Amino acid sequence: MEIIVYGIVNSVSLALMALGFTLVYGISRLPNFAHGAFYILAGYLAWVGIRSLNMGYIVSVLLTIFVVGILGMAMYRFFLIRVRGMPISEIIASYAMGLFILEALRWKGLKGMTFTLPVIYPGTIFLFDVPVDYQRLLVVAIGAGIVAGLWLFTKFTRLGLALRGIAQDEQAAMMLGIDSDAMATVATGLGSALAAVAAIVLLPLGNIVVEAGYQVLIFAVAVCIVGGLGSWAGAILASFIIGFAQILTVSYMQSHFQVVVALLAIILTLIAKPSGLFGRQKQLEERV
Amino acid sequence: MLQVRRLMVFYENMLAINNVDLEVPPERIVGVFGSNSAGKSTLMYTLSGIILDMRRKEEMAGGERITVAGEILYRGEHIENLGPSERARMGIVLCPERRRIFPESSVLDNLKIGAFLATKEQARSTLEFVFSLFPKLREIRRRPGGFLSGGEQQMLAIGRALMAQPRLLLLDEPLMGLSPLIQFMLMEAVKQIRQERRISILITEQYARPVLPVVDEGYVLEHGSVVLRGTGQELLENPDVTSAYFGV
Repeated sequence: MEIIVYGIVNSVSLALMALGFTLVYGISRLPNFAHGAFYILAGYLAWVGIRSLNMGYIVSVLLTIFVVGILGMAMYRFFLIRVRGMPISEIIASYAMGLFILEALRWKGLKGMTFTLPVIYPGTIFLFDVPVDYQRLLVVAIGAGIVAGLWLFTKFTRLGLALRGIAQDEQAAMMLGIDSDAMATVATGLGSALAAVAAIVLLPLGNIVVEAGYQVLIFAVAVCIVGGLGSWAGAILASFIIGFAQILTVSYMQSHFQVVVALLAIILTLIAKPSGLFGRQKQLEERV
Repeated sequence: MLQVRRLMVFYENMLAINNVDLEVPPERIVGVFGSNSAGKSTLMYTLSGIILDMRRKEEMAGGERITVAGEILYRGEHIENLGPSERARMGIVLCPERRRIFPESSVLDNLKIGAFLATKEQARSTLEFVFSLFPKLREIRRRPGGFLSGGEQQMLAIGRALMAQPRLLLLDEPLMGLSPLIQFMLMEAVKQIRQERRISILITEQYARPVLPVVDEGYVLEHGSVVLRGTGQELLENPDVTSAYFGV
């Protein structure tokens, strides 16, 4: 029972970390390797808002999500747009950006155990005799809420539909008046904002440390590769596979194997089915 | 409506479009006929601006050098340097070769994505028009685009392009791979579109027989050059056209 409850919590956490990454890749074919950096940056900004500027929890959190979203947009508009279409350069450029943010934070003194975000609602309840704190339940609720929200957004709003169009066939969407660069800007903004949301609900469970930024990136990449790059359904399924595998290793082996599981998942996927569970790299070209 | 003067397009050193002059008057249907690799699709990509995106991507990937020269005037304005989405905003909408339906979105969502540039009111009335033009689409509106037959996909592609409120509709090989019955039905639909939406339409096609009776004017393209130009009737009676493009 414990494994099931914590497996679900862990899986949803992974999905939250990965959604922003997979969204940007799915829409614009841009691997945003600064994703983990935005995650930690969001945690740090929220911490500054709450602890140093005393702005109150709600204001700090909303402001953080907004600011990180804008930063994501700016990163595309002024930086990544120049290497768009060159995959290797996209990775190097965005990773450099991420390194810059993370190491600048470390230089500014973000290290050790002093930086923590408050939980939204303290306390613990028993679910099927397993103790779960409210924050972890909140992670599941917000994860489900975000998935539902994204689904509604891409189904019923003009902007969401346009993003779906660009994601499926960029040029066909351009023919209908949808601008690819504008949509990529929106997508990176949305992806970064999602990283911020993930940080705000997940970071209270631990400390805000620079290393977590790299770890989040590894998890996000693992989830996306296993699920099939750019596929949302695949990403969610992959989160559950990797999430449960991690909890199983924690219960039966040791807890520091978590990252190993993620990396192993990447390797196994690349050997067995390189396009991932829901990959669609090839299938489109074959239809005539 | 649209005037093309001395248009040249190169892929590296290969000449795809050679000194083409072409004109689409308001509310007219103009056909461009030619065999495989005559330059029909290149012409369409150049008119819709997609070629600029192709050029940028090739440049980024270090691939083929694409060069475009000549003048394209739309309602008297130069549009050579405008990107595809800007041209679509001005009313030039391409319904591409091979249809390029969004395969994971339902028929209705495909049409809604097409309505990106339309106001709510325009979107609603155009959707009604598309469903009256192709009643079949209403029946299958919940089915994913990837599961449609070729004919259904073509109807959807035309409908989707109409949702973008074109004033000049570019149809690139709309009849490719379809049965004569559906070809006939689509050409009837094209006539109806011109009549009710009062727009100009440019059609390219390999197989001229179903298209010629519908066009006001036609061009024959060979190796990127215009070799013949005439009204639909003139082309119908021209023995060269008959032997080359009617498949008799």
